[in-house]
Amino acid sequence: MAGMSPSERRLQKELMSLVKEPPPGVTVHADLVEKNLLQWIINMEGASGTLYEGESFQLQFKFSNKYPFDSPEVTFVGSNIPVHPHVYSNGHICLSILTDDWSPALSVQAVCLSIVSMLSSCKEKKRPPDNAFYVKTCSKNPKKTKWWYHDDSV
Amino acid sequence: MSSSTSTPSSSKKLNEPNGSSGSGSGATDGEEKKEDRTFECNICLDTARDAVVSMCGHLFCWPCLHQWLETRPSRQVCPVCKAAISKDKVVPLYGRGSTKQEDPREKVPPRPAGQRTEPENGSAFPGFGFGDTGFHMSFGIGAFPFGFFTSTFNFGDPRPSPAPRGTPQHMEEQFLSKVFLWLAVLFIAWLLLA
Repeated sequence: MAGMSPSERRLQKELMSLVKEPPPGVTVHADLVEKNLLQWIINMEGASGTLYEGESFQLQFKFSNKYPFDSPEVTFVGSNIPVHPHVYSNGHICLSILTDDWSPALSVQAVCLSIVSMLSSCKEKKRPPDNAFYVKTCSKNPKKTKWWYHDDSV
Repeated sequence: MSSSTSTPSSSKKLNEPNGSSGSGSGATDGEEKKEDRTFECNICLDTARDAVVSMCGHLFCWPCLHQWLETRPSRQVCPVCKAAISKDKVVPLYGRGSTKQEDPREKVPPRPAGQRTEPENGSAFPGFGFGDTGFHMSFGIGAFPFGFFTSTFNFGDPRPSPAPRGTPQHMEEQFLSKVFLWLAVLFIAWLLLA
């Protein structure tokens, strides 16, 4: 642990607790993360009894060296991007805790739980209404998007 | 006989500390871990150093919390519960030996000090009695603007302390202050009636 930056120290702690006590349906590629603590790939399974049951998704977390004061950049990656009113087809997620409502007391685990819960409360699988336009015009980094959080129902 | 009784007792004596410490250390290990987590900073997840507690009861390292407050100066909320929070309203925690920790970070301003209020005294207004502590009244008569200065702006020269009770000087001062009080009352009455 010596010689690590504060953000790496914290990420190392989070990794250990996530490996030890992962939330249901969440697994982390620990050996991949060990190589580069600033970029994580997390496997997420759709909760049973929801529209996403039986599906599995991959989440990518990118951390800056200002973490945890700066929120991580979280996107869905891989072949299966969930069809959800707050998830764009390029993997960007419209979720307030990822930008405005981020707090350093949140963690990878808390973000994963929020995303599982966001998927689980979905009643109809559809893309956001402005998906085509957004995907064409957005920045690669979802944190550069000026998100407009207006729908708390899903 | 005596040797046979002494052996088990001595062996017991030897064993007891071992056994108890063995089982005890297992329990305290778990407890210590739990306790460690209880006193972890909510931001860096390490045991809080230069610990402060917010009014909502959440524990942080002062450097961590300070950095967070600097990150969003316009919207200062508790990272844990989003209650309003500010630098002046956190309470430092002083444990035993916490002063020995070095590393007062250069960039971070010092942790806010604890606030001490003195315990209340028996009498609510000590020194409000007229005669006890020297009742002073100055009365200036002069050309208009200067009169103000002489009577109201006496910088630099502290009032002499009242003479101790019972001395002739004390009696004299009492008498004088009464005389001037009556003079003032009469003057004000004259002003009002004239």
